[in-house]
Amino acid sequence: MAAEMSHLERASAALANEEVDRLTIYPIACGVCRKLIGDGNITYRQWVNDPKLFAQAFIEGQKYFDLDFAIGLMDLSVMAGDLGAGVRMDEQNTPFVDKHIVNGPEDYEKFEVPDIKKGRSAVLLEGTKIFADALNDQVITAGFIEGPLLALSQSAGAERMFMDIFTNPSAVHKALEIMTDYDAQMVEGFAKTGVKGLCWDYLWGNYACLGDAEYHEFEADKYASKLNKMTVDNGMAMCIHNCADLPHLDTQIKEFKPSIYSMAYYPLISDSPSASQVIEKGYADHCLVAGQVDPQVFIRSSAEDVAKITTNLCQEVKTALCKRNLKSSYCIASGCEIPPDINCKLENIKSMVDTAKVEGRM
Amino acid sequence: MGEYGLHYGGKYMSSREELLDKLANAVVSGKVDMAKEGAQEVLAAGNSVLTALDAINEGLVKGMSIVGDKYAAYQVYLPQVLMSAHTMYGGLDILLPAIPKSEVENRKKCLIAVVEGDVHDIGKNIVKTMITASGFDVNDLGKDVPVQKIVETAEADQTNVVAMSTLMTPTMDGMKATIDGLIESGYRSKCKVIIGGAPTSPSFAETIGADYRGANAQDAASYLKEVL
Ligand code: B12
Repeated sequence: MAAEMSHLERASAALANEEVDRLTIYPIACGVCRKLIGDGNITYRQWVNDPKLFAQAFIEGQKYFDLDFAIGLMDLSVMAGDLGAGVRMDEQNTPFVDKHIVNGPEDYEKFEVPDIKKGRSAVLLEGTKIFADALNDQVITAGFIEGPLLALSQSAGAERMFMDIFTNPSAVHKALEIMTDYDAQMVEGFAKTGVKGLCWDYLWGNYACLGDAEYHEFEADKYASKLNKMTVDNGMAMCIHNCADLPHLDTQIKEFKPSIYSMAYYPLISDSPSASQVIEKGYADHCLVAGQVDPQVFIRSSAEDVAKITTNLCQEVKTALCKRNLKSSYCIASGCEIPPDINCKLENIKSMVDTAKVEGRM
Repeated sequence: MGEYGLHYGGKYMSSREELLDKLANAVVSGKVDMAKEGAQEVLAAGNSVLTALDAINEGLVKGMSIVGDKYAAYQVYLPQVLMSAHTMYGGLDILLPAIPKSEVENRKKCLIAVVEGDVHDIGKNIVKTMITASGFDVNDLGKDVPVQKIVETAEADQTNVVAMSTLMTPTMDGMKATIDGLIESGYRSKCKVIIGGAPTSPSFAETIGADYRGANAQDAASYLKEVL
């Protein structure tokens, strides 16, 4: 067993699939960490509109949970909101889009890249800079951003966008070009924050939603490939988060070649790949795959159960890595964001981390 | 011109089979104008050639089940399924008003909603489509629907089925609250309650007192056809 490593040493080693003292750990605890700020009563609305508060959550989260990464997910309606969609912000719930801005095919051509120095794009960038400054000497930091197809579906409404893919593909492409320009400006903005990586949410690469042909045409080939390259050219590690049930692993891991790929597992959905299957099929050969504790357990289970679940996952992962002659390319993570609900139990997150520190030893 | 075509005074009229094929093909290929045209032709041809109800069941619905099966087999994806659903509704809008009143009254009613706090509605819409295709009259309350609204509408509609969807863990409690509300209002015993969405499970359905948890739209439709 390697001597105890610092977070940075361990995470860097895992990114290169080199020997580690233990597996890396990252419960995707973002919005939930607002409860660690001050008296614990700030609202979601405050959290997503104030860069200092946004950053503070990650800084406090790191103190409290002691993680190997810090990834600055706000929510998935930042871009749509700045493009003009209506975003509902409840006191204690993740903001979501409640008014789309595409009412007919002609509206796809009306999109314009907003000023990223304003609105929540600016809050996200400023907040990311604050936590990157505070945490860069401890952990690997990353920004979080919506991919073009997600930003468009959030603005247009997913169902409408999907039907228009079928009936008005050229209009959809025009809008995707604008989303890509917007994303490109955000990439440059994130590069200036000093984060070490940038995590793309490419959730429509999901066989429950799109096939290979559609995903290639409407995200992978023209848009994501450009943005992925730009991320790397701007000095950040390119990471992907896709919590879908049937992710396009060949495209998103083998073709896109991310440094980190974060994914979920749905035992009740046949064909949803488990951690060991993902490793067995070679997806962790050149990529640090992160997953797949079910986010539900942080609300519904006890801390003891979370410890058992984490132990089992660590065993499963270690066995699979060993069989494939891999050293460390799997991060014990939650499959998606830990529900930031008020009923979410911080002790369960702690239980996952503390268990993985022991059971993840190599 | 198909071999079943009939000529009346030089005017070509489509046969029953041609009309049914047209409707089914329109749905499979997602061509809403073709479905609407086909539906108008059915009405023009009259009951002796094809009744509106048969046109729905053996034409539109047949097409939708083909698409549903292809979706389940990963042969087609959401854009096609959503277009087919849109096409089926286009045809239904024309054909449903032509169904005799007595038969309309026999149609079972279903209420569907995504529970409060959750905006994921694509799955719910597909379930709605397949339940509609099974001959139910579906009242769609949309997404982010408060408990009280579901409970009140169930009784007001005298619905036979309450179908609830959620994809999020924090909002699952809304399903239980709705069932509790239905028990309190005395309507629970008068309807079936079905639930679905990734975080739900058969055991969760049992715990909260739902009748059934379906993994997908096809399951929901077959279950309802079987029990009602
Ligand atoms: C697409 C998507 C979105 C889209 C939704 C667009 C829309 N209009 O619906 C957008 C981008 C808006 C979105 C937003 C968010 N999302 Co989201 N999303 C997804 C994703 C990737 C796919 C869902 C989908 O549409 N699948 C395709 C459809 C066809 O399948 P389906 O919905 O599962 O439906 C089928 C079955 O479940 C079943 N079914 C469904 N309902 C019913 C009902 C009955 C009665 C029956 C019988 C069957 C049935 O039949 C359907 C058809 O076969 C899932 C991951 C996943 N794979 O489930 C996450 C997921 C649902 N999202 C999640 C989260 C956390 C969020 C956000 C909070 C993210 C954020 N931080 O902002 C917000 C939610 C805001 C809110 N308050 O609602 C989590 C929920 C986690 C949890 N368990 O709590 C998931 C599970 C991802 C994860 N692994 O964590 N999301």
